[in-house]
Amino acid sequence: MSARAPTAVDRSEEAPPRASVLRRLGLQRYAILIVFAAMVLAFGLAVPSTFLTIGNLSNILGSQAVLFILVMAVILPTIMGDFVDLSLGSSLGLSAMTLAVLNVQHHVPILLACLAGIGAALVVGLLNVFFVVSFDNNPFIVTLGMMTIVQGIIYVISGDNSVGIVSTGLSDWIFNNEFLSIPLEFYFGLAIFLVVWYVLSFTPVGQKALVTGQSREVARLSGVRVNRQRSWAFIIASVLAGLAGVAYAGTNGTVDPTAGSDLILPAYAAVFLGATAIRPGRINPLGALIAVYFLATGTAGLELLGTQSYIQQIFYGVALVAAITVPKATRGRVFARRRAS
Amino acid sequence: MESVPEEVPAVELRGISKDFGSNRALDDVDLRIGHGEVVGLVGQNGSGKSTLVKVLSGVHEPSPGGRLFVGGDEVPLPLAPGKAGEVGLSFVYQNLALAPGLTVLENLTFGQRIGRGFLNPINWRGEHRSAAVVLDRYQVSLDLDAYSGDLPPVDQARLAIVRAAEDLRRFRSASGSSHSVLVLDEPTVFLPEEEVERLFDLVRTVVAEGASVLFISHDLAAVRSITDRVVVIRDGRTVAEVVPGETEESELVDLIVGASAASASLSEEAAEAEDSLSGLISGTPEPRESAVVVGHLSGGRLRDLSCEIGAGEILGVAGLIGSGAEEVPYRLFGALPETEGSLRLGSRTLDAGKLSPQRGVREQIALVPADRAVQGLSGELSLWENIVMLVEDEHYRGGVFRRSELVELARDAIDRFGIRPALPDAPAQTFSGGNQQKALIAKWLLARPRFLLLHEPTQGVDVGARRDIYGFVKAAAALSQMAVLWVTTDFTELAEVCDRVIVLSEGRPVTTLAGQELTDDAISAATLRQIREAS
Repeated sequence: MSARAPTAVDRSEEAPPRASVLRRLGLQRYAILIVFAAMVLAFGLAVPSTFLTIGNLSNILGSQAVLFILVMAVILPTIMGDFVDLSLGSSLGLSAMTLAVLNVQHHVPILLACLAGIGAALVVGLLNVFFVVSFDNNPFIVTLGMMTIVQGIIYVISGDNSVGIVSTGLSDWIFNNEFLSIPLEFYFGLAIFLVVWYVLSFTPVGQKALVTGQSREVARLSGVRVNRQRSWAFIIASVLAGLAGVAYAGTNGTVDPTAGSDLILPAYAAVFLGATAIRPGRINPLGALIAVYFLATGTAGLELLGTQSYIQQIFYGVALVAAITVPKATRGRVFARRRAS
Repeated sequence: MESVPEEVPAVELRGISKDFGSNRALDDVDLRIGHGEVVGLVGQNGSGKSTLVKVLSGVHEPSPGGRLFVGGDEVPLPLAPGKAGEVGLSFVYQNLALAPGLTVLENLTFGQRIGRGFLNPINWRGEHRSAAVVLDRYQVSLDLDAYSGDLPPVDQARLAIVRAAEDLRRFRSASGSSHSVLVLDEPTVFLPEEEVERLFDLVRTVVAEGASVLFISHDLAAVRSITDRVVVIRDGRTVAEVVPGETEESELVDLIVGASAASASLSEEAAEAEDSLSGLISGTPEPRESAVVVGHLSGGRLRDLSCEIGAGEILGVAGLIGSGAEEVPYRLFGALPETEGSLRLGSRTLDAGKLSPQRGVREQIALVPADRAVQGLSGELSLWENIVMLVEDEHYRGGVFRRSELVELARDAIDRFGIRPALPDAPAQTFSGGNQQKALIAKWLLARPRFLLLHEPTQGVDVGARRDIYGFVKAAAALSQMAVLWVTTDFTELAEVCDRVIVLSEGRPVTTLAGQELTDDAISAATLRQIREAS
């Protein structure tokens, strides 16, 4: 036990550890895209008449907009080092349910109902700031509690029933109207992505967020207002989750009490899968975008092949575990170590 | 214990070579550690000493032909990882490998076989008693139920050494061998001088118990005080073996860095650094003739410190741990709460109580903290991102983040500060301590500070990089008329680089040394004299 090699910070003087084959070829960052292309090719050859159609493309792009907006929400606290905000899924559900209840049962105009829904999600974000940032609590535990509370509130206001149908005006703007055969919500998601991507990747604010996430003390002593940044991440994330809730209500027409809780884990799967692409090892919005549509394409293809829709879960899990394992396995280190012992 | 003929060494390495690609890290190195001997191993980063240790621990496979003998018996190389313990070698690394969230007792028993399965559970009370006996044997008093992460650094180091020494003792009694070697790799880096002595008392106890010690360190004073023999390694070869009592520290430095590099005096070093830094940090926006004035700084352990630092001057602050000296840089940067006093920068006077790191950065104050890994550099981020961290805003214009300008700026800094290897995209944590420290200093100098605060800037840094750092700070102070406050427990360093040194005791300044009076002995004497007078 005493002969332990230096770990963590290796102050050794020789060359850094051998990079993986993928990285040396510069392929690691595009690995998902390559697998993505291979997958499209495979499905295209297997079921060309249904897979390679505009209808299928429109379905893949449109059906993922809600998840994608939630992914953009999830990415913000995660990048800031507050590793999980579990309550974001419930915030989505709360937003959707609030607007459905107000619009359907209390006949509040749809625009006002939507604002109320987003406002409800924002309150959850502010509570997260209060308990996580102000009291310096563990974000996992606080947001776990917050998720449970919000889920309970959703059951209370809905009476544990699905609520619908919300105004068709909303559905038209979100889902029914199309541009280039793709539902409008895809473009809303894309717009949100562009803003998040720009800020995180092309501004000093994004760079400071990155340092805050990687080494909070370094950021603080470099003059970054760490807590202010973290607070904004929670707040903006909750508003985005609220918007995702609006998209959910518009897409489905009827809001189910479990709306958001089904989406939060797939959202994290996409964020972490995306962290293996483009900037390997870093959570990044472009990688997350690719990951969402990679997973959606795989699921759609499998369905067209005739598998059950719940196969999606298995596909998600396998992709996630494989994505973080394969780059290490190709490094040869895993196997070398086994030989040595 | 059987009696051993003295000529049989506890451990002997013969003809060890190691190549990394085309780079020869070790070239036919021999190393012999006698029974009960304490051998020092010194050399710069990159000299090959870590590689040698890793051959011993089984991390690296040496080139064919190298041989290892333990107690006169040959052990085949490479050693499989984990095998080193079975032949009587035990290692304590700089990071100590303690689990901070476990108690002292749990850290001691961790890795041993305690309890005998489901129906024969761990007898915690019995373990408690036997651990107390172990601590007693090494004359170390620690609370067995304290979390090891809460212990002061010196006690953490002592715990790690006790644990390793116990492994060796168990090995000796189980195998009947009398040979065992404790390898200490930089265990004193984070310890102030007076604590190092306490650690060495423990090392002497371990030797008295029957082990030999291989001691690897950059801290030459420590090496000289504990070892019987010092092996100097340079460019992968052993270049000298000296007896510390017969060799001056300066001779040792010459051996470590090589004759040509060592001949340069500090002023030549600074002149050279000035050449490489000019253009990067000169051409300050406004002249800074006026001094920095610290008024009645208090808080924590500090009681009423006032001083003036001239433009371009390097002021040292010395004191034992607990004297308050270690708090001064953080208080002046607004990084510690409940600070009182004032800070005058040029024509403006700031309330020290209202300072914050954000304010500090805005006022062009720079803080190079001692804890490089946690507070200084973001290890996962690339070298260039760390270096330009403070000047990013200047390269965001018209909604476009000029990333290529930043990389170019970092590349230039890497070149000027001699950071090796010159790989801007490599994660900061993959660089050696000296190169990380140069990067950290580069990061802050790029922000063109008018007041530079340094805390232990050469901790864990090899002799060569240390001289570079002295040169860079001196040059930057001269070029941009920057005031520098230098805090360290390394009094030799203070005597060498500072223009003046203030000595603190119990939070109060007790004396100021300058000119002829400024020697490391004088600083030591001043800190100690105060303690005697106080008690």
